[in-house]
Amino acid sequence: MGLVGIATEKILSSFSVFLFLTILLLAVARRISTSVLLFGLQSAIIAAEVLATAFQEKLPQVYIVGALVFVIKVIAIPRAFFLLTRRLKTVRDVKASTTPTQSVFVAVAIIYLSYAAVHSYGGAVHVPDDPLAAAVSLILTGAFLMVSRKKALMQMLGLLVLENGIFLAALITTFGMPLVIEIGIFFDILMGLLLMGIFTFRISDTFEHLDVSKLRRLRG
Amino acid sequence: MLLLMPLAIPVLGAGLILGFHSPRAATRIALLLGGVEIVALGAVVWQVHAHGELQQGRYLRADGLSAFFLMGIAIVSGLVLVYASGYLRHTGEGRFSSPRWFYALVFLFLFTVISVCLSANLGFLWIMMEGTTLASALLVGFYNTEGAVEAGWKYLIVCTVGIAFALFGTIVLYLAAVKAGMNPASALDWVSLMNAAPRIGLDPHLVKLAFVFVIVGYGTKIGFVPMHSWLPDAHAEAPTPISALLSAVLLNCAMYALMRYDAIVSRSVGPAFPHILLVIFGVMSMVVAGLLILVQQNLKRLMAYSSIEHMGIIAIGLGLGGPLGLFGALLHTFNHSIAKSLLFFSAGNIRHNVGTLRIDEIQGISRTMPRTTAALLVGGLAIVGLPPFSLFISEFAILSEAFAQAHYLVVILFLMVLSVVFGGFAFHFFRMLCGEPDRHPENSKLIPSEYIAMGMAAFCVLFFGIRIPYVFGLLLREAMAVLR
Repeated sequence: MGLVGIATEKILSSFSVFLFLTILLLAVARRISTSVLLFGLQSAIIAAEVLATAFQEKLPQVYIVGALVFVIKVIAIPRAFFLLTRRLKTVRDVKASTTPTQSVFVAVAIIYLSYAAVHSYGGAVHVPDDPLAAAVSLILTGAFLMVSRKKALMQMLGLLVLENGIFLAALITTFGMPLVIEIGIFFDILMGLLLMGIFTFRISDTFEHLDVSKLRRLRG
Repeated sequence: MLLLMPLAIPVLGAGLILGFHSPRAATRIALLLGGVEIVALGAVVWQVHAHGELQQGRYLRADGLSAFFLMGIAIVSGLVLVYASGYLRHTGEGRFSSPRWFYALVFLFLFTVISVCLSANLGFLWIMMEGTTLASALLVGFYNTEGAVEAGWKYLIVCTVGIAFALFGTIVLYLAAVKAGMNPASALDWVSLMNAAPRIGLDPHLVKLAFVFVIVGYGTKIGFVPMHSWLPDAHAEAPTPISALLSAVLLNCAMYALMRYDAIVSRSVGPAFPHILLVIFGVMSMVVAGLLILVQQNLKRLMAYSSIEHMGIIAIGLGLGGPLGLFGALLHTFNHSIAKSLLFFSAGNIRHNVGTLRIDEIQGISRTMPRTTAALLVGGLAIVGLPPFSLFISEFAILSEAFAQAHYLVVILFLMVLSVVFGGFAFHFFRMLCGEPDRHPENSKLIPSEYIAMGMAAFCVLFFGIRIPYVFGLLLREAMAVLR
């Protein structure tokens, strides 16, 4: 086994742990920029996992997916976020509605819950518990970030974390969807982010803040 | 080739329209393209009717069900384009908020909904379904007011998250299919999934899990309670033609996606599980929306809640299944879309002339705007399900199916909600129509485009209530054949 083979094995056996780490760090991150960096790191871990899977299962089209993840989620999206924060001149705080301690507790509960949830399905799909639990926790963490962080940018980031989880779930259970579909999904994500970017500008123009919890005129 | 035409026209058309800066030119081009698009859609519907299924490459396919929904899209989008050509006469230039952007985005939106109806692959269907959100988000936020921006943001976030769950459901179904021995390359194709459904159902857990995620995901776009929070805001804040498009095209389109999944899941794990979920979501949406109709203060929000209620009715029909349930559900998608367009068009006229949509500030419109009032009244009587209007027939069909299957709880709730909704509409409309008008709009005459759109919608609502045209009946039967 060559060096690449060893690296592949190490990545596949340990990436879940690193993903759990990013989840816990995201829970305590207080600045938007830190959260964006953590998202980039998380995506890099996932990209490595994709490439390792491609190498191990000898699936050439999965290499392309891995490259796409790297280019879009590790490079393009974090850069776009930094550009947005600079242009919007917003406060750097994520405006969490929970204290960091509470957030960590929630994150731990999420991880525990994910293990409990995948335990009954793990056997059915012949996948080890750890990566599946990591995927489910990413989905739940994304949802948690979206409801507990008041900044519009953090809602976008939560959505991306959630999407990372769904992507990971697809990858570890089925080695990903057909390539054309994956590319379509990436395109949708990019367009979605572009639109959300346009809307963040509009929110800051019309309301002069980016605190979405204060958008409550429409009710009932 | 035939299937590519209705997709190519709106995409190229959107680009073309952006090139015309003058509102007049943009409107004319849009009307022209809309006409061509309707012809292209009509050709597809006709070919499907005459020769059965059409397939184009691996990702595009049209069968009876697609044809039925395409026909609805063609009719409603035609009405909306005609109505919009007059409605936009007061709109100025703004970034993404000028008539040319309006039409370009409308055509992109039409491209995505038509793609949903033509997709042979569930992954492609998902991509296009997310596309519908993206194409319409800027339209919801078109006016750029505080309310519009808030509604647009909420729409974008809620629907994107909702639809992410549908993606997860799709992946789980794909996983179940691959595990059952299907070729991964074709494990998302609807036809192959239908053929292999009994085999996939041997391990029912994954299929059921998939359906739960899909019904929550696409249910968000349909507006099922409790995932409906985006719907009233988006409908109320969007320009009126867009409210009509969302209510009459987008919701149906999401319902179409759910029907496709329901067919696969019913065939693989038996109809009991998906159908009970549909009935539960349907009844919940009906009851909650029906009660909320009573307390609404904004005319367009009132209609948005009525849309949620009607989506509930369709879900109940689908969930009951059986020949009458399915017939009623499909017919109701069409009837509701026409009646709701008519109502939104009338609301748009009221907004133009009275300057507000608050129900307590609208008074005596029967004197100042007799024609709009007539349209509002026809739409209102139709939407609460009174004979001789078309919605009575579809609701009656669903109700008789519920009786035939002895689901008395559903029957009781259904009838109770219908009477509450009737009371609600009567109460709100009575306040608006009667009384002394406090301001007299100077020019409340209908312009020709409004005349045509509202007249045709009113005619359809009435005509389909008296008799279902022969060809329409055939298309409806072909659509039912696909699902059974």
